[in-house]
Amino acid sequence: MSEAAMLSLSKSLGGRLAGNATLKAGLVLSGLILFLGFVAPFLDPVNPYTIHPSHALQAPNGQFLFGTDELGRDALALLLSGGFTTLIVALPAALLAFFIGVTYGFLSGLGPAWLDRLLMRLLDVVLALPSLIVLLFFAALVPQSNFNLILLLGLISWPSLARLVRNEVLAQRGRDFMLAARQSGASSAYLARVHLLRVIAPILVVNGTFMIGDSVLATSALSFLGLGVQPPQESWGSLLQGALDIAALDPWWLILPPGLLIFGALLAASLTGQGLLQIWGNKR
Amino acid sequence: MMKMILRRLASSCLSLFILVALVFFLAHLTPGGPAYSILGQKATPESVAQLNQRLGLDQPLLKQFGLWIWHLLHGELGYSYLLNRPVGQLLWVYERNTLIFYTVSIIISTALSIALGLIQGVWFGRWPAKLIGAFQLGFYALPPFFVAAMLILWFAVDVHWLPASGIIDLRDPHAGIASFAAHLVLPVTTVSLLTVSSLSRYFGEAVHEELGKDYVRTARAKGVSFASILFRHVMRNALRPLITILGLSFPYIFTGGVIVESVFNYPGLGWLMWRSALSQDYPILIAIVLVIGVLTVLGNLLADLVNGLLDPRASYE
Amino acid sequence: MNAVLEIKNLSVTLKRGGRDVTILDQLNLRIAPGEMQALVGESGSGKTIAALAIMRLLPPGAAITGEILLNGENLAAAVEPRMRQVRGKSVAMVFQNPLAALNPSRTIAAQIGEAWRVHQGGSAAQARARALELLDEVGIPDPKNRLNDYPHQFSGGMRQRVMIAMSLACSPHLLIADEPTTGLDPLIAQQIMTLIARLRRERDMAVLFVTHDLSVVQEHADSIHVLYAGRSVEWGAAAAFFQHPRHPYSEALLGSVARLGQARLRNIPGNLPEPEQRPPGCRFAPRCAYASAVCSTAYPPADAQGATLAACFHPLPRTARPAFAETLAPRPARNFAPLLDVTDLGVRYRGAGGWFGAARRLPPSLAEVSFRLGRGECLGVVGESGSGKSSLGRAVLQMIEYDGQVTLDGHDFHAMAGRAKRDLRRKIQVVFQDPRESMNPRMTIGEVIAEPLRLRGGLNNAARRARVEALLGQVGLNPEMAARHPGDVSGGQAQRIAIARALAAEPELIVLDEPTSALDVSTQAMLLNLLKDLSLKHALSYILISHDFAVVSYMSDRIAVLNAGRIVEMNETAALLSAPRAAYTRALIGAAPQLQPMQA
Repeated sequence: MSEAAMLSLSKSLGGRLAGNATLKAGLVLSGLILFLGFVAPFLDPVNPYTIHPSHALQAPNGQFLFGTDELGRDALALLLSGGFTTLIVALPAALLAFFIGVTYGFLSGLGPAWLDRLLMRLLDVVLALPSLIVLLFFAALVPQSNFNLILLLGLISWPSLARLVRNEVLAQRGRDFMLAARQSGASSAYLARVHLLRVIAPILVVNGTFMIGDSVLATSALSFLGLGVQPPQESWGSLLQGALDIAALDPWWLILPPGLLIFGALLAASLTGQGLLQIWGNKR
Repeated sequence: MMKMILRRLASSCLSLFILVALVFFLAHLTPGGPAYSILGQKATPESVAQLNQRLGLDQPLLKQFGLWIWHLLHGELGYSYLLNRPVGQLLWVYERNTLIFYTVSIIISTALSIALGLIQGVWFGRWPAKLIGAFQLGFYALPPFFVAAMLILWFAVDVHWLPASGIIDLRDPHAGIASFAAHLVLPVTTVSLLTVSSLSRYFGEAVHEELGKDYVRTARAKGVSFASILFRHVMRNALRPLITILGLSFPYIFTGGVIVESVFNYPGLGWLMWRSALSQDYPILIAIVLVIGVLTVLGNLLADLVNGLLDPRASYE
Repeated sequence: MNAVLEIKNLSVTLKRGGRDVTILDQLNLRIAPGEMQALVGESGSGKTIAALAIMRLLPPGAAITGEILLNGENLAAAVEPRMRQVRGKSVAMVFQNPLAALNPSRTIAAQIGEAWRVHQGGSAAQARARALELLDEVGIPDPKNRLNDYPHQFSGGMRQRVMIAMSLACSPHLLIADEPTTGLDPLIAQQIMTLIARLRRERDMAVLFVTHDLSVVQEHADSIHVLYAGRSVEWGAAAAFFQHPRHPYSEALLGSVARLGQARLRNIPGNLPEPEQRPPGCRFAPRCAYASAVCSTAYPPADAQGATLAACFHPLPRTARPAFAETLAPRPARNFAPLLDVTDLGVRYRGAGGWFGAARRLPPSLAEVSFRLGRGECLGVVGESGSGKSSLGRAVLQMIEYDGQVTLDGHDFHAMAGRAKRDLRRKIQVVFQDPRESMNPRMTIGEVIAEPLRLRGGLNNAARRARVEALLGQVGLNPEMAARHPGDVSGGQAQRIAIARALAAEPELIVLDEPTSALDVSTQAMLLNLLKDLSLKHALSYILISHDFAVVSYMSDRIAVLNAGRIVEMNETAALLSAPRAAYTRALIGAAPQLQPMQA
């Protein structure tokens, strides 16, 4: 994103941040989740993979603040390391998908008509399926590792953003101020860099935020289905799956925390995005 | 109108073919391949080659694809390596379960969404709408597997009101429709809660937007009552985006949210997809993708048709 | 005689940004049966709010005080169920933009029939029969076969007729028409106004006609009521008002309407005050040439010394000749050095083709257009919507593909490429209809104006800033404006900025595409005068594209009349106006809204 676009965004953000409760709540929650994911695991000295067979499946108590799982592992340590794994997969995947989506959208929206047709036809194909189906399909195909998971999520989650960006580019590129700039001798590259980016930046930021939430959900869902993060590593999704396998024993302390954390992460992204939308949405 | 449908159909078929080809080649080009998943990672190259020959996987890819298409045109979807049954037969059994499950869910969700959306649109900005808005935001961010887990924990484990998984009580030989219904309650609730949270929001916003339009003011200027304006003028126009979204979610009716079916061990198409993915059973995976692709196309077409009936302008485009 | 409608001390307060803002203040008016009264004002004057208040259709949060007596019944105090009986039965309303005002997904028979059944009951078949009657009355051809059609299947003018038919369903005593002809082509607008005038005569129906267009008022209204910034400034018989306006605002407003053959438009300095920032006392005082200290003490009482009433401390005396009459003068003929040569210009848009079918061939939107334009000359291009006038502008601007030749300064655009073509293209600039759309909302005004300078290069930051300030000065704006965003300026200011941006490229020709049709009359006059001055000063040429014959004739040395993509007539302005040769030109001139010249 160009510097000027960033500047104009942050300027319009600064004044109105104070007034928007949704955005504030979203940012605070995001900070909390990021802290739990990237800082807390290194503050907690307990090894998540140490097994205490004699303490298996204990409810929260003085020794194990969040209880233990059926193998006797410390649930808190598992939760923190699971959070790290979840975010370390979900965030780069979202970034990858974001860049593919934006590039694809710009290419389609700014390129010649035949390219637009071709790219949109391809997009129709990819969008013809629910993304979870596509994810499952390919997750079954490729050897499982965190790196592959990031690639997989990134390469599959971009189409809806691409379509949004393309439609927005098309809507904006015919506007009078674009025509006026071209009349003054602006090149296509200049128009894209200076004008287009500035008007589209808010939409990109908002949808990038939503994308992070979607990516956390997809990572967790895949892990929950056993096709994401693989043992011995744990993620929030796989922890929830493990706890649900022994649901009959009523292990509420193993189900609630990972579920709430995924919920918290999704809510953080959703609130932040909604808040940004409220601030920028009505100003085209 | 007819011409538009035909054009859409032709264009969709092309998309579908590209999709199927893409899926087929990607599935067969990935390293490993089905032989390994059947025989296990430690299989010897000889045994793999033997199996590949038996399954016809040693043929040139293009020939495999042609053969597959040929079979497809004859209604044969392939053969499951792992379950040792024709794919078509398998699909039908699972699809029936999904169909029941999702039809019930969609009917409940749509009815609830329309009711909530109307309230939200009419009382926009006041407390009833804000309350609904908070519900929507909260449930929108709730992952489906977490909702399912909580429901199981409360209703199946804590109070033992409802069964947590399966489709019918296996211990009871006389289990009939009542048992089936009881097994449906939790999955349907999960899906409905999540669907309503987004569907009602779309509808609520549409109602609010329509109520602000000029034609509503015109109707008021004629002396038409508010109820009449809402149900005779606004509903019809506000339903259009809802129908489009329902059309888009049509494929989910049949895949039945993989997650919900897997959590509740409900033997539907989604569950089958999940099990096949875990065991890399390609023929089933490809067949399911194909089925879902066809259903998506049909769903969109159906939505266009209904919208064409609701909106006279659509048929003139 | 008894009044159909009598409004006493009506004030309307709306909630804006959490605060109560008085939009309309102490309105008093009366309308007799069969009378056509015009409620006139610029945008923000409160005229539409007044109309909506009578119908009690104000947005939520609005509060009204005063009385609205309809046949003696006070509607201001009526409860909603009672209002439902009144609306559509005793008072009916016709809105602007009928495409939005009609429900897109119901047939017109259903919508007209509804208006009747809500009040009269009756069967669906009876309602249909009534709809047929009404459609016939408002002049819809072949009404029987159109009953089941939807609004989008009608043309703009026909849609407004449907709207009028709907309002007549229960034979109301009072019809409120809110800008019923805005957005329609002049020929169609004239037909609609004639229809309304005929209906009120035949039905002896009172009409309250809300408009910003004084020329329509002069042609059709019996009486007039002028609002400025939420308060009445002058009211009385229309004929007397146009002969001897008594309020300085009325005089200024009349002076700023473009009329055929006028040499100079009067403009009103300053801006219309926002409802939150209305000055004490007379609201027009800060912009008034006659204002004195007393004007800001209290709102002036109505002065009854003339034929009309004026709320003014210094009303114009009955004997005074209005200032604008003096400026009517013939235009001197001028000679121009050649600049632009357009030969055999044709534009044809391709219809969207499907994946399988070839693109459909549409009829050309422009064909065989040739003309020359001199340096410093203004060519007016007049035509209805769809006549191809915008295509003509865009082809000259090189924004779309075209056949034929466009030559500027002897250089043929088709024979050029790359940098040279871009440099040549820069010499033709453009000013669009919607000034806000023509500026990137996320740039500052300074950046907008500096863009052509930056793109051309050769200036450092300081020099560029100085140039931007100079340009802002040239278009009559404060240099401090440079730091603001397009969203924070008024429409008239935004259009000046668009002109400054065009000037920054140092053009030889500016294509003005409906530059004033989004602006209020007084702002329009200001802008047209500015453009005229700039043309004289810089020997700038214009191609002025407009549907407004009066504006075009005020600005142009020559006028080209466009119909269905072809020039039907082109001539010197005076000659074209006094002796139009083509029948189409005569019809356009006849329909053009224009004020009758004053009698001396």
